[in-house]
Amino acid sequence: MKLFASAVRAMCDANVDFVVIGGLAANLLGSRRTTYDVDFCFARNRDNLHRLAMALAPLHPRLRGLPPELPFIWDDRALSNGTVFTLQTDLGDIDLLAEVAGLGTFDDVKARSIAVTVFDRTFLTLDLPALIAAKKAAGRPKDLEALLELESLLEAQEPD
Amino acid sequence: MRELLPLTPEQFERARLRLMNPKPGSRIAAARDYGVDLTLLMEGLRKTPEQRADDAESVRETLSATLGIARKQSK
Repeated sequence: MKLFASAVRAMCDANVDFVVIGGLAANLLGSRRTTYDVDFCFARNRDNLHRLAMALAPLHPRLRGLPPELPFIWDDRALSNGTVFTLQTDLGDIDLLAEVAGLGTFDDVKARSIAVTVFDRTFLTLDLPALIAAKKAAGRPKDLEALLELESLLEAQEPD
Repeated sequence: MRELLPLTPEQFERARLRLMNPKPGSRIAAARDYGVDLTLLMEGLRKTPEQRADDAESVRETLSATLGIARKQSK
């Protein structure tokens, strides 16, 4: 099943305020690096949390690693209790972040995003300089190669 | 709002040449020296955002299915 397309379409159709970040954003910008999950930054206002909860509910989100015997209710109240959610769904893993290291809050992230039309929907994804800033801020050794890729993509497309 | 569009043929050709012949000291040269496969980046830039998304989805599905098989076999 198509995780990226399903999640993006559901959130667009529910008018969720979100920005694609992480590996899928890199893919949209030209990276060929394999992405296993999909990462979104989301606005934390009450209406958006409600729309987000409703949009993803059909995918039956659940906190990753939570023992099956423990109850978990997916709703806007659960979303209001945190800023980072690592979820497993019927279609695959989704990470939701209210803030992105190196960039800031959702409004900061949104300001550094670019519109893209994919999966028959138009939505926002981080632009290359922002994605590079986020990777640098994360400072993970495993991101070094990805960072070099992103910097190369940027340099290759810079105007003369 | 800015929009992510496919590269024009001229933009792609300029990017391709930069990736094929990185300037000494450039980030592209650093990536090449590190071992990044620059031909994959050319391939990515050649495609439209829609094609890039479809490719990412397809690879994820294949990987997910492979991991599922591996998990079943290890039980």
